[in-house]
Amino acid sequence: MADLVFWIIAAVTIMSAAFVVLNNQLIYSAVALLFTLFGVAGLYVFLWADFIAGIQILVYVGGILVLVIFGIMLTNKIKSVRISHKSMQQGVGGVVTFWFFIFLFIALTKAPWAFSDAVEPVGTVREIGVLLLTDFLLPFEIISLLLLGALIGAAVLSRGES
Amino acid sequence: MTNLQSLEFFIPELILTITILAALITDLFVKKSKTNMIGWVLGVGLVVVGLSVHNLSSAPPTTLFLDMIVIDPFSSFMKIVIILSTLLVIVASWVNDELEKYRKGEYFTIMGIMVMGLFLMTSSVDIIMLYISIEVVSIMSFVLAAYLKLDTRSNEAGLKYVIYGAFSSGVMLFGLSIVYGLAGSTNYFAIQDTLSSLDGSANPALIMALLMIFAGFGYKISSVPFHFWTPDVYEGSPSTITAYLSVAPKAAGFAMIIRFFHQVFSDSIGLTSNSIGSTDLPWPEIIGVLAVVTMTMGNLVAIQQKSIKRMLAYSSIAHAGYMMLALPVLSMEAVESIMIYLFIYVFMNLGAFFIVIFVKNKTGGESFEDFEGLGWKMPIVGAFMTLFMLSLTGLPPTAGFVGKLYIFKTLVGAGSEFLWLVIAGGVNSVISLYYYFHVVKVMFLGGKRSDVITYPPSTMFGLMIFTAVPSLILGLYWNPLASWVKDSLVFYNQVM
Amino acid sequence: MYRDFGTVFFAVIMGIVMVSIPLIISWLIAPSNKTKDKLDTYECGEEAEGSAWLQFNIRFYIIALIFLIFDVEVVFLFPWAVVFKEMGLIALIEMGIFLLILCAGLAYVWVKSDLEWVRRRIKYGGGRYKPLSASSED
Repeated sequence: MADLVFWIIAAVTIMSAAFVVLNNQLIYSAVALLFTLFGVAGLYVFLWADFIAGIQILVYVGGILVLVIFGIMLTNKIKSVRISHKSMQQGVGGVVTFWFFIFLFIALTKAPWAFSDAVEPVGTVREIGVLLLTDFLLPFEIISLLLLGALIGAAVLSRGES
Repeated sequence: MTNLQSLEFFIPELILTITILAALITDLFVKKSKTNMIGWVLGVGLVVVGLSVHNLSSAPPTTLFLDMIVIDPFSSFMKIVIILSTLLVIVASWVNDELEKYRKGEYFTIMGIMVMGLFLMTSSVDIIMLYISIEVVSIMSFVLAAYLKLDTRSNEAGLKYVIYGAFSSGVMLFGLSIVYGLAGSTNYFAIQDTLSSLDGSANPALIMALLMIFAGFGYKISSVPFHFWTPDVYEGSPSTITAYLSVAPKAAGFAMIIRFFHQVFSDSIGLTSNSIGSTDLPWPEIIGVLAVVTMTMGNLVAIQQKSIKRMLAYSSIAHAGYMMLALPVLSMEAVESIMIYLFIYVFMNLGAFFIVIFVKNKTGGESFEDFEGLGWKMPIVGAFMTLFMLSLTGLPPTAGFVGKLYIFKTLVGAGSEFLWLVIAGGVNSVISLYYYFHVVKVMFLGGKRSDVITYPPSTMFGLMIFTAVPSLILGLYWNPLASWVKDSLVFYNQVM
Repeated sequence: MYRDFGTVFFAVIMGIVMVSIPLIISWLIAPSNKTKDKLDTYECGEEAEGSAWLQFNIRFYIIALIFLIFDVEVVFLFPWAVVFKEMGLIALIEMGIFLLILCAGLAYVWVKSDLEWVRRRIKYGGGRYKPLSASSED
């Protein structure tokens, strides 16, 4: 049963991702992105990362997708995408991508992954909390600087100069 | 080392954080015309950081924060190179006219955060720390590249940089995740243990992962198949940021590459000529081919440029190629040559860019026509530019020659299979002679001669002297630099 | 864990199904005679004039950007809050440093009046905010 749900979620994610890229209407692409991000959150659950799944929905869908839609609405004269240059060499690109995918598939299925013998945790929030404050303390503090820089940069670039 | 014990070795970065916060708070209190003061705050802070880095450079190499970063003489050397380049660019930002209409407070603050990211890039030994530091540097450079909001070329530069950088970071992260999956840990030392004990079945995945990781690293140092962002971003950004981007992230990128490939794949001993660990990937050949293609492409396309800024962008791609020539060997001697070349490259490249900034201030343009007659109107500037062009080409008695000498010496000493790299490097230096001397020809033989000799303003003049003197002196007497680099050539080795 | 999330997944599916069944049924059964008057936009009985597309306010975007940064900060606060009590003072100091740096960011955004609906010209030093019509240095 869990396998069936996994395949359904994976199919929804991939089809929505293809829709995002191939569609002409920007708003339709944004809504398809919504489904893709929800699908990815579902995939996180299969990796036992329940906290990350919740955060994915909270931050990605609730923040980034909202920003994407605001960005689309700011450029409201563009109702659909009319690209002046279509992508060149689509045939060659398709073939190369296909073979890259095949090679990647073979490589990743044959690789001797390092398995751990952990059991399914009740919830991962506690472990993440402990790790953030002990083992991964330095990345945690550097992320605060990164967020500060992103905040300043975003405010500088998007404010309207008087 | 535990978190609390690491703090005493982390003092430079702590001082840097306090400087960043001080710069940010000061920006809330100053008027637009006085925002240069924040540059002073950042500059003074960076000098203090530099002194404390120098203080700690004699400390024994250790890992800090539970194996997240290391402190060793190699990272101290790189940090000092980064601090020097940042200080020079801060002084140049005071005299750059492009930034006149904008508040510079955020500019300096963001530059400070970028310096923090560069420090961590040079010293991380964990995949997560590596990725976070690359992202800090990338995001801050996106903002700085797009800083001139009223100039569409700057907006275009920022946009292209964002899209390209996000994609490259994603590809690199995929490669890093494959390495993590094979090794079970994010620490370089644990990865190296596991990878050396893997058998051949991991080879395809490892090859894919390596190629993808090198895609991300190559984007940072603008090596050739990943260089397409460089000309547009360098041309559109404010000139001081172009100068900064062409030296500091490149230095930190090379440090990161050296540390990653050195530690993960060879345990700081040196790559054998045929393989990495146990894979069949012909690593030296691949990197050698990439290096030659980088140099050649950079030099050949630079010949056709009409704008000096774009030409210098392509020339910085070519210089990354010269430095990459030493990567197939990756012995201690090769690392030494890369470090010497980086130090010299900082000064000569920044000098060339500062003269471009000066000409842009005076004439508002950056093409060859604006340089005409400069040699006669301002002989000092013409002389300095000639010196920088000579140094960038690599002619004696300038410092660029010393850098190339070390790289070629490494290659020749490494064996006969690297001889073709030496030949390619020599041929490319000859090709680069053409476009560098085109600048000199335009300066001295173009335009009308004038009898009035003017001198550049004092700050600009000081900057030019500060970059020209090492470019000349280090070509004649480079012993202090060589001995400093030799002392810094100690990597942290995990004692088993 | 799968059982709990399975419940959530089932609830999501039921939500989608519950919304789409009536729509599909009405699409199948309802007659469709479209005339020009019936297709007009409803404006509470008035005639609709002009285009529905207005120039979007950029202030929404800036507020959403600032929200996103602090949202990520809250994401880091969640696991810390779970383990805070058993880890004691050191956890408080570490999170305090994190929050301090982000408070500096908040102070920056606040002073530059990015959080206000109408962005004011900021006069630095004495009499900080002037009305928009008066000119000042910024």
